[in-house]
Amino acid sequence: MTDMTATTAGVAAASPGRSLVRLLEAAGPLLALILLMIVGSLMSDSFLGAENLSNVFTRSAIIGIIAVGATFVITAGGLDLSVGSLSALVAGMTIMFMNAAAATLGDGWLLVAAGIAFSLAIGAFAGFINGFMIVKGRVEAFIVTLGAMGIFRSVITWLADGGSISLDFSLRDAARPIYYGQVLGIAVPIIVLAVIAVIGELTLRRMRFGRHVAAIGSNRHVAFYSAIPVSRVRILTYVIQGLCVAVATVIYVPRLGAATPSTGLMWELEAIAAVIIGGTALSGGFGRIWGTIVGVLILGFISNILNLTGFISPYLNGAFQGAIIIIAVLLQRDRAQG
Amino acid sequence: MFNRLKTFIAAGAVAVAGLASPALSADAVIGISIPAATHGWTGGLNYHTRRTIDRMKEAFPNIDFVLATSSSATQQVNDIEDLMARSINALVVLPFESDPLTEPVKAAKAKGVFIATVDRGLAEEGIEDLYVGGDNPQYGKAAAEYFKKKFPDGGKIVVMRGIPTAIDNIRIEAFNEALKSTKIEVLDMQYANWNPDKGFEVMQDYLQRFPQIDGVWAGDDDAALGAIEAIKQADRKNVAVLGGSGMNKVIKLVQDGHDMVDADIFYPPTLIIPAIELVTMKYATQAPINGRYVLGSPLITKDNAAEYYFPDAPY
Amino acid sequence: MALLFFREVAKSYGVVPVLKGIDLTVEPGEVLALVGENGAGKSTLMRIAAGLAPASTGTMLLDGAPAPGTLHEAERAGIVMVHQEFCLAPHLTVAENVFLGRELTRGLFTDRKAMEVKARALLAELGSDAPVRARLRDLPVSDWQMIELAKAFARQPKLILMDEPTAVLSATEAGNLFTRIRAFRKSGGSVIFTSHRLDEVKAIADRVAVLRDGQIVRVEKTSAISENEMAEAMVGRPLAEIYPPRRGAAPRKAFLSVTGLSAPGAVEDASLDIREGEVLGISGLVGSGRTELFEALLGLRPAKCRSFVLRGEERKLPAAREAWALKLAYLTEDRKGKGLLLAKPLDQNVALTSGAIAGAAWIDRRAERRDLEAAVERYDIRAGRLDVTAGALSGGNQQKVLIAKTLGVEPDLVVFDEPTRGVDIGAKQQIYEIIAGLAAEGKAIVVISSEMQEIVGLSDRVIVMRRGRSAGELSGDAITENDIIRFAMGLEEASPQEEASH
Repeated sequence: MTDMTATTAGVAAASPGRSLVRLLEAAGPLLALILLMIVGSLMSDSFLGAENLSNVFTRSAIIGIIAVGATFVITAGGLDLSVGSLSALVAGMTIMFMNAAAATLGDGWLLVAAGIAFSLAIGAFAGFINGFMIVKGRVEAFIVTLGAMGIFRSVITWLADGGSISLDFSLRDAARPIYYGQVLGIAVPIIVLAVIAVIGELTLRRMRFGRHVAAIGSNRHVAFYSAIPVSRVRILTYVIQGLCVAVATVIYVPRLGAATPSTGLMWELEAIAAVIIGGTALSGGFGRIWGTIVGVLILGFISNILNLTGFISPYLNGAFQGAIIIIAVLLQRDRAQG
Repeated sequence: MFNRLKTFIAAGAVAVAGLASPALSADAVIGISIPAATHGWTGGLNYHTRRTIDRMKEAFPNIDFVLATSSSATQQVNDIEDLMARSINALVVLPFESDPLTEPVKAAKAKGVFIATVDRGLAEEGIEDLYVGGDNPQYGKAAAEYFKKKFPDGGKIVVMRGIPTAIDNIRIEAFNEALKSTKIEVLDMQYANWNPDKGFEVMQDYLQRFPQIDGVWAGDDDAALGAIEAIKQADRKNVAVLGGSGMNKVIKLVQDGHDMVDADIFYPPTLIIPAIELVTMKYATQAPINGRYVLGSPLITKDNAAEYYFPDAPY
Repeated sequence: MALLFFREVAKSYGVVPVLKGIDLTVEPGEVLALVGENGAGKSTLMRIAAGLAPASTGTMLLDGAPAPGTLHEAERAGIVMVHQEFCLAPHLTVAENVFLGRELTRGLFTDRKAMEVKARALLAELGSDAPVRARLRDLPVSDWQMIELAKAFARQPKLILMDEPTAVLSATEAGNLFTRIRAFRKSGGSVIFTSHRLDEVKAIADRVAVLRDGQIVRVEKTSAISENEMAEAMVGRPLAEIYPPRRGAAPRKAFLSVTGLSAPGAVEDASLDIREGEVLGISGLVGSGRTELFEALLGLRPAKCRSFVLRGEERKLPAAREAWALKLAYLTEDRKGKGLLLAKPLDQNVALTSGAIAGAAWIDRRAERRDLEAAVERYDIRAGRLDVTAGALSGGNQQKVLIAKTLGVEPDLVVFDEPTRGVDIGAKQQIYEIIAGLAAEGKAIVVISSEMQEIVGLSDRVIVMRRGRSAGELSGDAITENDIIRFAMGLEEASPQEEASH
């Protein structure tokens, strides 16, 4: 029975009548993005302007980098709800660290480098704790990261006394280029996102580690029985997620020079939505970084178009976003079934 | 499934135990129910609430305080019910929304609890014994007046709305009303959730879309800070930014003569302070206390900024 | 007039034909068996008859009228299908499941009492005393099958389609089912069923239709065809001796010797020798700790032992990944749950274990493709295309992929756990050849199997497990089904050799 239906499904996918479906599966999110951009350019003259595109790409970089990490976690069959809170916590602690270290390290690149190192260390550590609790403590990822979400958020609120933590104005000039600077005319955050996306895609597709991540997400028991170091790989995906959050934070802090209890609110949902729009299976087993990046851009362009055109009531913005997200996933629904 | 359920029950039990911990021998128990710190203003509100409670506790050790912070109107209803179970004598409540909280507060009142509402009133008159409020219509009106005065010959402005709530609607309504039949043109309004990141993004897009923007009402100081950075990045000159609510950082900018920000609207989270103090006094001194106290929302400019500047507050 | 009449019925998915020119009739009061290898088209034919899948071309009549095209029409016309996978709701009670979608009502409400009474009666007819108020999830799988069958009979159909109804039933339960089917037949009902057990077909069916490659190659009265002839019609060639020739008894070097192996709750104080170039058969009832013994040995479950001597050197029990690195391989009995990534392509599956043990950090996709092509050649994996997922293959071919994956690490010891479960006869024979070939190369081989004939046919030596211990050992010509059963049931004392090790 199973054998039979499975055989036919597998063979059927190869038949020419379904090649269009296959194309949609493979390139669905990309098509959605292109459609969205056509819509945007028709509705607003400034949409395709270099500055606007640069704006959207640059601000998408923060969620994008987080979403690259989320792609690893979700592909391995996990989930991390704590990334938004962790961003706020890392941002706040990094700012406090930089304010305090300015006295000894000065206000130049040395301080910025120390700040980056500090933030990466916190991010990796928080990710490791999440992963360790989930894998070794055998608590569901949903619960662990939901708890972590609350803990991180409360700690930053407590550290900030409910207000905001600001980078000293004297230090802002040193950090500012990380968000506002350009290399060869391309904004720094875009370059960072591109580098991380390429590394992520190569790791997930071409490296043994990535293969193991997908195998674990596909079937953890099979992975264990195939000699894959399941626990280590699973924990590492959360460490990668933590590191990605830290990198995103490094870009985020110079933008406004402050962290507040509302920093990173709902980022976890945006990141997860981007991952799913991009074609990664929410249940794990299959992930693609390029799709995630496309997903992030789709989310970024939706709100950009809405702001640029004002063609629907702002009350309905959420409905428009929701519809686009569902359509983007609908375009590739077949793979999810297979 | 069962394990997950257990976790929730355990978490609930811990929360209940925490709520029930204060000593039971106090002369009076005052329950305080406020929104959780979801954005800067509520963050400040939480800060001032806690500080005021600490101060009052120290001054009047016989009076106990139970604080509940809620992240939604529904949760606030539950929290008030839980506070009632602690047999409080008085309830200080800053309602998330007026309508859904009217019934539970009314029920508390019927049990003889002294009611003090803060910031927002309830949907029904005469429930609260004490009202300490801000003036939301005036908030919107003050913003409109600012732009009228700033651009007497007309100007193009964009607006950022807050988190979609009743207060936001009241303010925007008053704002629109006051701008009727003036030469000020409102180009667009989008939600920025009183959040600096969102304010940054919305402002970036406004700047792309409109070649001429004379002013921005960001609705809130947090969002204004985001807008300022976006304008700075786009290198646009002569854009007047108005926030609102009186964040110390922004008042400092006004005081120092910032090139974009020359005013702010006062609507501070400190209004919880007199409410708690007055209710405490009622039980500490047996003084009869009731009535309505409305704090105005005046415009803060360079001239009067010093009066409203509290450098040590986190907001 | 025939109840069900198929003429020139064909079905294809895309351009790939699955059924070709099927002519078939089912008379009222007749039991028809469909047999064939995995992938021959039995299930598709059943699904078409049940209205679950439309035929591409052909005429189908039910009672002389055009046959129903959807599941609901079919049900209304009196056709129900009992699936191999259960279509039951685990959280509902037995009675609720039996009447699922057909609830008896009294006024606006469901009539629980009436449903319970009727469900009890329906189950009793099948010889089952499953408690009708119990929730399904609390009951064993064999009860589920009975409930599924009771549900089918509750619809009072004219025709019941049963896909492998006895796969999870004990012999007694299967007997009860056959009694019920005979009663159903007597009252004029018809049954089409599929089974891998040809003796059952012989026992219960009036006629048998043999399918091969989507065509009906033979239809006979069961009285006129032997089991052997059925099997030959299924594979399309005479069946040679299915088991490879036995290698003579010879003194063989011990590869791995373990004493005092215990795994909590499953294995108690077991000791055994595994020898180079020998096939060691492991028999015993389900739950006797056969699988657990070897999982414990290879680090797949927590365990301890007195001594573990591998290739003449004493060491501690290896952890899971260590065991693979020591070239000790375990081929799981749970192909879908623990063996293959069904959603992944074949080359990734074949490369999985060897890659995890000794692969480089970067993946060489071309090499993986070459390895797959070599495996397809060597193990005769029939996939049609090489870029399909593992889940798209038939059971037998999946098993060959699993073998290729496991042998990809070039192990010195291979534990085959139920190597031919759910595999058709042709593939079985090939798997036996692979096993014998490995032993001939001097590898140490363990075969765990519930199929007695397989154990007898393959093994040079047999250990029979009972309640987590080895209950007896047989070797060479002394290996007989009878003795194995006696050990497995605890009817015989342990052999002297076994006692010596205690």
